[in-house]
Amino acid sequence: MSDPRLTLLLALADDELVMGHRLSEWTGWVPYVEEDLAMSSIAQDEMGHARALFEIAATIDGRDVDALALGRDADEYRNAVICERPNRDYAYTAARHYLYDTADAVRLEALQASTFKELVEVVGVLRLEERYHGDHARVWFERLSTGPVEARQRFAGAMSEALPEAMAIFEPLSGEDALLADGTLPRSGEDMLATWLATIGTDLEAVGLDAVLESGSEPTVGEMVPTSSGASELTDDARPLRVPGLARRDGSWVHAGEFSGAGGRQGRHSDDFPALWEEMTGLYRAHRGATW
Amino acid sequence: MVATLETMVLEALSRVMDPEIPVCAITDLGLVERVEVTDDAVDVTLLPTFVGCPALDAIREDTERAVQEVAGDRDVRVAYVYDPPWTTDRVNERGREALRSFGIAPAQPLPVLQIAIPCPHCGSRATTIESEFGPTPCRTVRYCTSCRNPFEGFKPKG
Repeated sequence: MSDPRLTLLLALADDELVMGHRLSEWTGWVPYVEEDLAMSSIAQDEMGHARALFEIAATIDGRDVDALALGRDADEYRNAVICERPNRDYAYTAARHYLYDTADAVRLEALQASTFKELVEVVGVLRLEERYHGDHARVWFERLSTGPVEARQRFAGAMSEALPEAMAIFEPLSGEDALLADGTLPRSGEDMLATWLATIGTDLEAVGLDAVLESGSEPTVGEMVPTSSGASELTDDARPLRVPGLARRDGSWVHAGEFSGAGGRQGRHSDDFPALWEEMTGLYRAHRGATW
Repeated sequence: MVATLETMVLEALSRVMDPEIPVCAITDLGLVERVEVTDDAVDVTLLPTFVGCPALDAIREDTERAVQEVAGDRDVRVAYVYDPPWTTDRVNERGREALRSFGIAPAQPLPVLQIAIPCPHCGSRATTIESEFGPTPCRTVRYCTSCRNPFEGFKPKG
C-alpha cells in the first residue's frame, strides 16, 4: 500500500461497505415497513458508494472491485471501528447513524475540493444521495432525543457509547501528510474532527443532551485487537487507539489532545470484526470468480 | 455513413428500457450522456441514476446488446461516468409521461420544493410524503388524500 491515495480510498470505501453490511442486517427486522425500506435503501446506497470508491481504488491497486471489497484479509480493512459494531437496538443504530452520517458529510464536503479528479466526481454524486441519509438520521435524532423518557435515556446512553468511537472516524491515515501536501486530502483528520464536533455539539446541546459530550471528555482507550497473525507492521502504533477527549471552549466543543496508537485506519479492529468479516466475505472466499 | 450510424445507435438506445420501469427508455430518463462513433468502435457513455442502483449492470448489458445489433463489426463499449452527475432534471417530458403511466410521479423541476406533487392516478395535488425511501433507491413513497391511494414518486436528485 505504497500509494497514499489508495489508503484514503480504502478508508472511505471500507467505511461505506461495512456500514452498509451492518445496516442491511436490519432488513426484515425493523418494527414497521416504511422504516425497514428506509434502512434497507440506505444500506443499498452505502454498498453502491463503496463500489464506486473501490472502482477508483482498483485503477491504482490492480485488483478488481470484488477482490478489493471481499477478497482481503480482515486486517487489511481500513474502516473505522464504529462501523463494524453490532446494531444492538434502534437507539444505538440511530445514534451511530447520526454520528456517522454527520461525520461523513464533513468529510465529503472537504473532499469536494480535492485535487484528485476521479474522486471529486464520485464525491459530487455521493453528496446528492447522502443528503437523504442525513435527513433520515436527523428525523430519528429529533424523535428519540425528545421522545418519551425511555427513548431519550436509551438514545443518550447509546450516544455516549458511540461518540468516542465515532471520533475515531477522523483517526489520521498513514501517509496523511503526503495526501495533504498534494491536495488529495484538502483538510486533515484533526481539522475535520473539529468542524464535526462543533456541529454535533450544537445539536446535542439544543436538545439538552450535553451529558453525552461530558462522557467524551475523558480520552477513550479502545479495546482493539489485531484481527490476524499480527504480522502487519504496527511500528509504534502497537498500542490501542487513544481518542482525544472533549472540552467546551468559547462556546463550542473542541477535542483536547491528540490521537495516539492505532485503530481501524491501521487495520486494528475490535473483536466484533472477525465475525462480520467471515459472513461478509464467506461467499466470495468459497466461490472465487463465481458470477450470477 | 458515420452520421447515419450515429442516428441508428441513438434509435437503438431509445429502445433500451429501464428494467425496473419497463415503460421508460434510458434516453428519456437522461441516462445517455454521450455517443461517439469512430471507424472501428461505438462508445456509449451512461450516467448512473443512483450509484447503488442494482439495475446498472443490467442496463449496461442491454445497452451493449442493442447497440451491437446496429454497430456491425465495430467494437461496442458502454461505460458509466459520474461527471456530470445525473439529476432528475434530465428526465424529459416523454420520460415524465411514461413514469406517470407506470404510476410513478415524476420529480418536480429542482429546486422547487417537492410538495403538492400530483397523484399519478387521479391528478389531485392533495398528496403527502410517506417516506423518502421506497422500493428502489430512486423512489419515494407518497399518499394521495383525494383518491386514497399510496403511490411512488421519483426521488428528486440534484
